[in-house]
Amino acid sequence: MARRRSRSGRTSKTEQEFVSEAEEIIERMRGGLADLEDQRAANDEVDPEVVNRLFRSAHSLKALAGLFGLDPIRHLAHQLEEILDALRLGRVSLESPAISLIAEAVRVFATLLEAVGDAEAIEVAAAPVAGLSEQIEAAVRAARSGPEVVEALDVDPEVLRTLTEYEEHRLQESLRHGRHIVLVDATFEIDSFEAGLTALSAAVRSQGELISTLPAPDDGSDSRIRFSLLSASSLAADALAGRIDVPGASVRSAMRRAAPRAPAAATPVEGADGLPSLQSISETVRVDIRKLDELMNLVGELVIQRGALGDLITTLQSHHATAWIANDFTRVHKELNRKLKDLQTAVIDVRMVPLHQIFEKVSRVVRGLRRELGKDVRLEVRGADTELDKLLVEELVDPLMHVVRNALDHAIEAPAERVARGKPPQGRIGIDAFQRGNHVVIAVSDDGTGIDTQGLRARAEARGLVAADETLSERDVLELIFAPGISTRLGVTDTSGRGVGMDVVRTNLTALGGVVDVKSTPGSGTTISMTLPITLAIVQSLIVCVDEQRFAIPLGSVLETLLVEPREIQRSRDRELLDLRGEALPLRRLSAEFGLGTPPPEAKLFAVVVGIGDLHMGLLVDRLEGQQDTVIKPIQGPIAAIRGIAGATEIGDREPVLVLDVAALVEDPQRRREAPCP
Amino acid sequence: MSVRGPHAERAPGWESLARAALRPRRVAEDPGVLRRLLAFELEGAPYAVPVERVREIVRLRPITPIPRTPPDVRGVISLRGEIVLVIDARQRLQLPQAPPTRSSRIIVVQNDEGRVAGLLVDGVNAVLRVAEDAFRLTPPGEPGAVAALCRCGDRFVSVLDLERMLDVDPDV
Repeated sequence: MARRRSRSGRTSKTEQEFVSEAEEIIERMRGGLADLEDQRAANDEVDPEVVNRLFRSAHSLKALAGLFGLDPIRHLAHQLEEILDALRLGRVSLESPAISLIAEAVRVFATLLEAVGDAEAIEVAAAPVAGLSEQIEAAVRAARSGPEVVEALDVDPEVLRTLTEYEEHRLQESLRHGRHIVLVDATFEIDSFEAGLTALSAAVRSQGELISTLPAPDDGSDSRIRFSLLSASSLAADALAGRIDVPGASVRSAMRRAAPRAPAAATPVEGADGLPSLQSISETVRVDIRKLDELMNLVGELVIQRGALGDLITTLQSHHATAWIANDFTRVHKELNRKLKDLQTAVIDVRMVPLHQIFEKVSRVVRGLRRELGKDVRLEVRGADTELDKLLVEELVDPLMHVVRNALDHAIEAPAERVARGKPPQGRIGIDAFQRGNHVVIAVSDDGTGIDTQGLRARAEARGLVAADETLSERDVLELIFAPGISTRLGVTDTSGRGVGMDVVRTNLTALGGVVDVKSTPGSGTTISMTLPITLAIVQSLIVCVDEQRFAIPLGSVLETLLVEPREIQRSRDRELLDLRGEALPLRRLSAEFGLGTPPPEAKLFAVVVGIGDLHMGLLVDRLEGQQDTVIKPIQGPIAAIRGIAGATEIGDREPVLVLDVAALVEDPQRRREAPCP
Repeated sequence: MSVRGPHAERAPGWESLARAALRPRRVAEDPGVLRRLLAFELEGAPYAVPVERVREIVRLRPITPIPRTPPDVRGVISLRGEIVLVIDARQRLQLPQAPPTRSSRIIVVQNDEGRVAGLLVDGVNAVLRVAEDAFRLTPPGEPGAVAALCRCGDRFVSVLDLERMLDVDPDV
């Protein structure tokens, strides 16, 4: 504790912020590393998702360190990216030193983090970085001609590159089984080399395995030819030499001497207080999100029980004899209500965080990057007080960061270029967040180049994702940015462009039940919209009745409710409209939408006016039943999604009530209108 | 969580069936692996699902129909805070329709991925122990969701393929 206090004494607030954030990233890396180690132990194939996760962590750490000027961390993170990239592409295997290098890097990050705020300590902690970086570079370089083999063998990598995959595999297998790899060299007369080579091959085979017969550089003579037989044997070179009885043949070991690793990186920090502290350095409390889930569920159950109590009171009130109890009950119920509301708010508060937390993070990155990239960009953030479940916010960081980096790196042009195109020299990136029904939309827009759809298509064709003669709409082509392996720019930069691109963004968002869309106008900009559900929140809903079936409509998207006389409903072509204070409000009958029975034509109806963005619409229902707190739950079962239904909720102890997905209902007819007529 | 034993409202004929299944097999040298099946009834005929796939059996409770779903999707029920989709086994197996009765039950099953769904059946009967070699796979091309027939006493029980039973056409 004493140590911790002295630390916080000398670290500034921004440094603490950095440490806290970096710790989280490193924690994630440890998790990923443990997964990798498990896979290696199980002799499994590398799970690309694990590697990708590690890669993203390294990427985030690099950006963060760059921002705070912590060069050793930034440098090492970059190297880590390199080796993870190689791993991802299968150029390096888990058996190679890769995994220990990654583990070492994570360990060094941790010691570096401990030292933040103390220049001297940083210097000490940074000592292993150079050595480790070299090792990583070597491993990545070696990877090109087969991983382990190159590491272990003293053979010209150029030669090794000529091996077939099978030969390489045999080589690896032999090494794994602890056999010696030897090169048997021999020179033969060119006109009789066949017989000699056959004899030599047979001799080698009798003592082990002949992996490959390699032509060797000749000794300048036209009449002689030299071969090098790459072989594996349980005998060492010296012993083998005695057993190969072919004149002129020489045997040498191809094994690299077991050279000690560069000690700089391999020596763990030890000493009196050298053991890496397990105690978290930052002062924030981290709670397992599942614990919050449990809490949330309990509160949800309580809310439902309260609803049941309300139903009971109504029953009591309706009977003359019990009405007086109902009055007392109502008082208690109200108090319970109030307390429950407080509890509910408190629990939701713990989960819900305003987006400005991550928006600030994004702003920092943008500030850092625009300096680095020499771009003049104004970041406009709107709707930062929009709240989202903590879990979703955390998962949103990476995709959002990626989208913004893409905009900055690829979309926004250099000032001179912008002026030449008749744009203001300063570029603009906008982040707009707003709630739309039970979704939160985060739109990242820029006024840059827009997406080069021709180039995009060409790359997709080159990768075989699209046939050359395939007709694609503009929209389909834009969708290609979400295809795996398509980066919007080819070069590898510090910022983005490694091909871990929009496909990852889409994967991440889909996993959260969200969607990502792209709109782009060549020359004038791109908008990437990410829409996420807020399913975890307790929301107020309006309960409506259609054909005696109840439905819940989240109040967030309800603008008002109207009592509608049938004669007020006007028809325009096949659509029904209502004159709402001079504006035409399109109507939709839920009964028709859901194939339910309709009330008698003269019956009064209720219109629930819902709005999503600029789209307004009146949903016609038979009856309004009042407002309720609802916990929207997913429907368990072999049905993925039902259009127009967001989930279900329990009210009292009666049957579950379906919750309408207003966004889908409102957008449905839009989509239908856009659909080409058959 | 527990699977209840033979139910009071058991259909006639089931007693002997259950006993037959529990009776030790004569062939001592190959007793076979015993598998436990939850037997239930549809249109008077015996059906079964593997016990290990059954999470619980619940009495009929209010089911909320879901619009825009195929007719064999009966709706959703609330199960201690979970919203669970219920499939009508009669509809699914294209048996004649009949309104639920007092003995109707919802068998809550889960698949390998832990996904849960309810199966509305006429009544639950017994847990049968059946030797592995008593299973007769249905010939390929046989329609429906019956994966195997297994001989129990003098009757054949249709063992359902839960994957096919719960495979809802999403395009409706």
